[in-house]
Amino acid sequence: MKSVAEILNEIRPEFDFASSTDFVGDGMLDSFDLITLVSALDGNYGISILGTDIVPENFQNVQTIEALLRKNGAGL
Amino acid sequence: MRPVCTVDEVFQGIQSAKSGAVDFRTNFFPVRERLHLWIAHGELASVDCQGVTFFFRKDRDFWHFYFCATSLASLQREATTLSELKTEPMVTDLVGSEPGLGEMSALLQCAGFRSYARLQRMARAVRWEESRSVCEGLQVGLAEKSDGAAILNLLERSFNHYAEQLPTQAEVELAIERQQIFAVKIAANVAGILFFETHGVTSSLRFWVVDERFRTYRAGSALMLYYFKTQRTVRRFTLWVNTENANAILKYGHYGYAQDGLMDHVLANKMIPS
Repeated sequence: MKSVAEILNEIRPEFDFASSTDFVGDGMLDSFDLITLVSALDGNYGISILGTDIVPENFQNVQTIEALLRKNGAGL
Repeated sequence: MRPVCTVDEVFQGIQSAKSGAVDFRTNFFPVRERLHLWIAHGELASVDCQGVTFFFRKDRDFWHFYFCATSLASLQREATTLSELKTEPMVTDLVGSEPGLGEMSALLQCAGFRSYARLQRMARAVRWEESRSVCEGLQVGLAEKSDGAAILNLLERSFNHYAEQLPTQAEVELAIERQQIFAVKIAANVAGILFFETHGVTSSLRFWVVDERFRTYRAGSALMLYYFKTQRTVRRFTLWVNTENANAILKYGHYGYAQDGLMDHVLANKMIPS
């Protein structure tokens, strides 16, 4: 199973996600990217992230994404 | 439909559909600042139904149609009986990966929409400093306030306003003020423009167009190279292009853009001409 950081780097290899604590605010992820990212996370962790959880604040950084995954039943 | 008067009304409408949602569905991803502009110009309206909030944005001679639904079932139920879809010209956008859009597209076609256009997103990653130089001989610079009408006219002559999210006069004026439009002028005419929005390390190219009368001057190339050269902190460039515009796709490919898998299915109801 890939880590969140690995998935982010696969989706957007041009960005250094480790250098940011606000992916959306820094322009690394936009609302359309969230669609792609959610699909990758769902597939990797075997879960289905709720539509109500697909909001920018849940995708600010690796920690908030991991919290979202736990909430949706992923074993991290 | 009733007019939306505050930004809070929009977010309350979205939240109302989200709360208790079992399978939340939406095609509405509003940016607060843009909402302010639409509301100030009286362009936004809504309808609250059981489990669904619909939003409508007036744009020239039609409405953009958005939905926030607690589930696919509630959207199907309410959209098929929504009177506005039968009486007003409407266009809606569904964005996602190609396989994921079929179900929603089929549902909206049952509610009176038809497939109208398809846009694909293209992206260009930058992992090194740009080295190409700007074309000599042409002066590229920021558009000025007095260019606003000519820019809007050029956009409206060059793009399909139902499918390609053309800006309003107010949005063009704001973009000029924010230095988001580059222009090439030839003999005091706006010969070509490049309209973009940069947010952090990502820049979205909204429109790139050269007036037919000036297409032998290489103004398009000058604009694009100037754009890349000035956006030094940007690491990712994106844009949306109509899948039928093979010429544009080829040109974007020349500048390093490639399809990234995201699609926008544009649907129109029967009151929108073919």
